[in-house]
Amino acid sequence: MKTYDVMVIGSGFAGMAASLFAAKRGLSVVQAGGTGGIDFSTGFIDLLAVHPVAEQRVWEDPFAALVALRRDLPLHPYAHVADDEIAAALEEFTGFLEENGLCYTGRPGRNTLALTSAGTVKPTYLLPCSAWGGVEALEAKAPTLLVDFHGLKGISARQIAEVRADWPGLRTARVRFPGMGGELYPEHMAWSMADQARRIELAEAVRPLLGDARFVGFPAIFGMTDTMAVVRHMEELLGRRVFEIPTLPPSIAGPRLRAAFDRGLPALGVRTYTQKLVSAAEVSGEMFHFTAGSGSTAVRIAARGAVLASGRFFGKGLKADRHAVREAVFDLPVRQPEKREDWHRAEFFDPRGHEINQSGLETDAALRPLGADGRPFHPRLHAAGAILAHQDWMRMKCGAGLAIATACKAVRELSQNL
Amino acid sequence: MDFFSAGLGLACLSFVLGFAWRVHGRPGSRLPAASEQDRRKSGLAAGLVDIILLRRTLRTGKLRWAGHTLLILGFLPLLFLHAMDGIVTRPLFSGYEPTLEPWQSARNALGLAALAGLGLLVWHRGRRLRAFSRVQDWALLGLLAAVLLTGFVLEAAKMASPADFERMVADFFPEADGDEFIALQAHWARENGVRFERFLPTAPEILEQGRELHEDRCAGCHAPTATAFASRTLADALPAGAVLPRTMAPIFWHLHVGLAFLVLALLPWGKFLHPLASPANLLVRGGRWDSGFPAAPPARNLALEACTRCGQCSLHCSVAPSRRVLGNVDILPMDKLADLRSWLDRSLDGARLADLVEGSHVCTECLRCTQVCPAGIDLQDLWISSKAALSEAGRAGVDGEIRKRTAGEWAHELASRRLGKVGASGSGLADHAESFWGCVQCTTCTGVCPVVAVSTDPQRDLDLTPQQIMNYLRMGLKAQTLGARMVWSCTTCYKCQEHCPQGVPVADILYELRQLGARTLRHRGKP
Repeated sequence: MKTYDVMVIGSGFAGMAASLFAAKRGLSVVQAGGTGGIDFSTGFIDLLAVHPVAEQRVWEDPFAALVALRRDLPLHPYAHVADDEIAAALEEFTGFLEENGLCYTGRPGRNTLALTSAGTVKPTYLLPCSAWGGVEALEAKAPTLLVDFHGLKGISARQIAEVRADWPGLRTARVRFPGMGGELYPEHMAWSMADQARRIELAEAVRPLLGDARFVGFPAIFGMTDTMAVVRHMEELLGRRVFEIPTLPPSIAGPRLRAAFDRGLPALGVRTYTQKLVSAAEVSGEMFHFTAGSGSTAVRIAARGAVLASGRFFGKGLKADRHAVREAVFDLPVRQPEKREDWHRAEFFDPRGHEINQSGLETDAALRPLGADGRPFHPRLHAAGAILAHQDWMRMKCGAGLAIATACKAVRELSQNL
Repeated sequence: MDFFSAGLGLACLSFVLGFAWRVHGRPGSRLPAASEQDRRKSGLAAGLVDIILLRRTLRTGKLRWAGHTLLILGFLPLLFLHAMDGIVTRPLFSGYEPTLEPWQSARNALGLAALAGLGLLVWHRGRRLRAFSRVQDWALLGLLAAVLLTGFVLEAAKMASPADFERMVADFFPEADGDEFIALQAHWARENGVRFERFLPTAPEILEQGRELHEDRCAGCHAPTATAFASRTLADALPAGAVLPRTMAPIFWHLHVGLAFLVLALLPWGKFLHPLASPANLLVRGGRWDSGFPAAPPARNLALEACTRCGQCSLHCSVAPSRRVLGNVDILPMDKLADLRSWLDRSLDGARLADLVEGSHVCTECLRCTQVCPAGIDLQDLWISSKAALSEAGRAGVDGEIRKRTAGEWAHELASRRLGKVGASGSGLADHAESFWGCVQCTTCTGVCPVVAVSTDPQRDLDLTPQQIMNYLRMGLKAQTLGARMVWSCTTCYKCQEHCPQGVPVADILYELRQLGARTLRHRGKP
């Protein structure tokens, strides 16, 4: 059995980033995890936008927010990663995506307000180039046509226009998506947009509705692997700036990310086991032995070090029963509310969030999860991403950034120990 | 009319009539024409190479190839040079006598080669194909072996037989006096293994006289019988002092010739035709391994006849496990072909027809049988066209029955029944809440589904999408899902299951529902 330098447990943002960084640093990498989780991404890469959560304070400068965060919440995982390391990690990560056909953009050192499918705006740091036109249109309140489709659930141009009463130049239209009827699903539409004839048909359906619009926004369905080529073609056909708005999860943004990693990681030499959750781990001083998957397709993996990037509840890194939360692979101690009744506050939308959403693994400064004795569980086991305690990435708007930054830190620390 | 003429006449009549019946009104024209026919010319040379080198047979195993090669290399020369010597060998080779060299030793060598080939084929069939074999498979091997063995026994009996010796002397040396006759007897008994009743002298001068008489009178037509090495060994194996009854050689002659006539008479029937039909089909196929050429009725007729029942297709069939579960032999290509032929001849109905329909629809058209067939039969074309012909005849199978009504109508009928569970454990995934606990109705399964992707309107074409079926099931509405065309259109590509973020076994559940539906309709369709 081959012994790898690093086993990456998990295939969300943190797992993908850890595999990428480790492979780029010359380590031999094996990765296993479920494929479904990242499908729910909006495609936005948040760094940090809201702090403190209870005050709902939105920051335009994420690095200024980081300074405040580290001061107020010294246990937050960001406290273990320096600003320059975060910036470098994000650059390396988006560079990789760019090489694999996914263009990202943003303003250095500044958060951007991006349009969502509900008509609200969300502060984020980096966003797909295909959505950037929406940012410009929104900021300029430019004359814009928002198009949605009969049969596509989860995005309503009219609702967006109603919510954005501050944008009088926004008009809406609903058209029939060419070649499909009944209920539509974004992935099928995106694949069908690979056909240039389909784009021409769509453009012809939209052209009579353009009027004075300078921008045209669509639900995110512009291709799986060549989004910017589709966007440019649509711009050419319509003679207007064109942008995408991510639909409700699972939107096409997630599968695009997954596809980019499916293409790019094996090319860097990473051995990927997709849709195989790690079901068992044996740990000795020298070595980790993992079982990934179950039944006849289970595989045994040996590695000298590991990055635990298995996520929280949806990623199945943490398992909750009616009484307690447990860590799924090593049964590491999980920092969690003492009593079950403390998990949630009475109000679902309580601005302070819920205690359970801060639960996860405690680590040392090198992001090594602590064992029951309060010391690192293993000298070469590190953790990254949502499984880390003391953060509420959803409310803080720091999910992808935290995943990428802590993955980078974990890999750097681990590589020094191998 | 003597035995030979009468037997040959009858055998030829049977062959001609049988062949005419088999070719007459052949039903290839009852199969719908392929929509896109490949008009590429077949490669005659490639077809010939397939026939001569048995290239496709080699691909299915060295043992089968060796068996066939030995059998053909042994049997064909025996057929032309020995059985038909009067019209082939004698005109071609002046001075031909079957008892001269090299014919005598060649006959033995060829016979042994053919027997060895048969032995390999019997061994192979017994080891690998026993489960698929029927009476005619063994009968063909047995009859050929009987023809060859009686040939050896006949030759041995003639060698040992004093009656034949006396007949020959009476015919070709009638003036022999008593001493000369004894001297010749002594020589033949010593050198050529004839067994006489009486004790013969061994004095050297008498043997020398016998040798001279032999040289003078017999050697022109008789090589030493030792050159017929196999038969002579057989003759010598008789116990010392044993003398064959005078009727023995004629009995073996009648047996040997009679069996040969029987083979000729049976040639048009069943798999006995394959030595003719398979090479003809290989020639038509012209070395092609894929499907689609030429799908015209005559080619299909030939394809229907060319099966050797070698069983290779059944060994390689992708859905063979279904046969083990359902017990329907028509799931395997070889047996399905036979029943398809019967159906096209309008002589198949009842349970056998139901089996054929089911077998046709279990087939996934994976092309493996077509690629492995040593006779080069375009089975793929037959399956695709016969499935269409069966549907045309109102025999669309469970799959077709389901599509005659909507999911709602099926639910109405099925709701009143106790819907069984699938699986040896008696518990199905669809019946367990645990299967759906994780489902968050996120639509990922539907979003990646290629069947949903190619439908222009999922609700109209498929009734329910995968995530909707999961939702119905977790609400306990199993009857409502069984007739959903999504269940019946699922290609079990497993994308849904592979992408489910919550580990719901979506494809397994769809497959289970289809099995359950198929079983329900199977029992409904049968008395």
